[in-house]
Amino acid sequence: MRKFVSAKSFLSALVMYLLMTGTATAQEGHPLKGSWIGEWSGNSTHGDFVLLVMDWDGKNVTGVINPGTDDMVIESVTLNPSDWTVTIRAAGYELQGRIQELELPSRSIVGTWKNGNRNGKLEISRQ
Amino acid sequence: MKKAAFKKKTLSLVLAASALCGAASLQAHHPVQAKFDKSQVRTLSGVVTLLDWSNPHAHVFVNVTQNGVTENWAVELESPVELKASGWNSKTVQPGDRVEVTGLLARNGTRQIWADSIVLSGTGREVFTLNDNPPVKPLVPRPTPRWPDGKIALGATPGSGDGYWGYPDETALVEDGVNVSFDRYGQLANINDAARVAPMQDWALALYRHRQQRDLQDDPMYLNCKPPGGPRQYQSNLGIKLVEDKAGQRVFVMLGSGNHNYRIIYLDGRDQAGQVGGDDDNPLYYGRSVGHWEGDTLVVNTTGFNEDFWFSNGGLPHTSLLTLHERFSRPNLDTLHYEVTVEDPGAYTRNWSASWNLQWVGGEELPVHFCQDNRP
Repeated sequence: MRKFVSAKSFLSALVMYLLMTGTATAQEGHPLKGSWIGEWSGNSTHGDFVLLVMDWDGKNVTGVINPGTDDMVIESVTLNPSDWTVTIRAAGYELQGRIQELELPSRSIVGTWKNGNRNGKLEISRQ
Repeated sequence: MKKAAFKKKTLSLVLAASALCGAASLQAHHPVQAKFDKSQVRTLSGVVTLLDWSNPHAHVFVNVTQNGVTENWAVELESPVELKASGWNSKTVQPGDRVEVTGLLARNGTRQIWADSIVLSGTGREVFTLNDNPPVKPLVPRPTPRWPDGKIALGATPGSGDGYWGYPDETALVEDGVNVSFDRYGQLANINDAARVAPMQDWALALYRHRQQRDLQDDPMYLNCKPPGGPRQYQSNLGIKLVEDKAGQRVFVMLGSGNHNYRIIYLDGRDQAGQVGGDDDNPLYYGRSVGHWEGDTLVVNTTGFNEDFWFSNGGLPHTSLLTLHERFSRPNLDTLHYEVTVEDPGAYTRNWSASWNLQWVGGEELPVHFCQDNRP
């Protein structure tokens, strides 16, 4: 429990920091590359706030969820460029959504998350 | 002899015709369609209240009265740099002049219009038209200038007068051998040609189509004055200047448009790494360039690009995995031949190449135009 509070506090502080430090840096390369922050609502295990860091090596998107606290390594990412839908799998989680406002550095992914029989809304924005 | 004279005359006519047609080098600092709606053409009649003669675009403010209501419209023109080069000045229209303006309305619904034409109502004279013809080339190509060490001069040499490279004969990056039509800003005439432009990965093609279908309005150079890194600097509207620092063994590439920035190509054999302590892995808009001479060709390799800009007019994507292999040659005084091979396994399925020529604009200093002044 103590660890959970600590992680939540860390992420809350991070969210506030990122929100206060202005707009997203430009990212005109692969649309998923970068740091994404937002909420996976109703996640009682890891808290509502979530942070994803993703990179693109030319063939695969790699990354981690909640680096430094939960350190969930992203196992697979599929991006369908025909409609910009995304599926991300990591540590039993499946995040599904669609990239919104693709043209903006602060583009977002809106969709759902699920882990076993738990699920909720997902909304993250690139920082 | 007769045949030679005929050929000379024919060549002269061809050159004159090409000069009249123009190479469409001059263009707005941003795609017109990014701010103005090509499908919304309007004609306004009114009275000039002010001429704002400043970069990146001059504006004529016009009071338009319709149905008893007077509204002030901002009429956007090309930059004073280009207008002045075409013979116009800040006194061309005066407050009180009655004008008729035809052009494209702003996408955001504000009272702004891009002037395709402005006609002084009193005289019927059309003003602020652009002369975008390149300088007429001599009938017989002038020899390539060389330095005392025998190397070709990429720019001006001492005593030869000033000059710069402009009027690229291609304004969009496209793989050599592919025949597709673009406008001067890199927008495809037919979006279905997108996949032919370069061998893009699926995501890159979809992103390129998205940018094209949004009429290039997300161009970071237009929105945020991001530099035109990569091959784009050699297709920019106001040209580039190559300044050779022989003692320092480096070449400066000075930009006439964009953010009026510069790029350095090092010829001193240094490593392709950060030149400042702690700067080694900092990706850059112009990357890290090292070069060497192969005969009369300057061969340049550049890596270390960031992903914060568009490296082509029209928005072809690139990634930080990009390496550019460039070759610069000057077959005669008036021609710079530029070749580039794009190696980017992050965005493309294979390496691909493009090439084009730029024309020497002698006797002139590089135009000064700052996209920092952008008012999108």
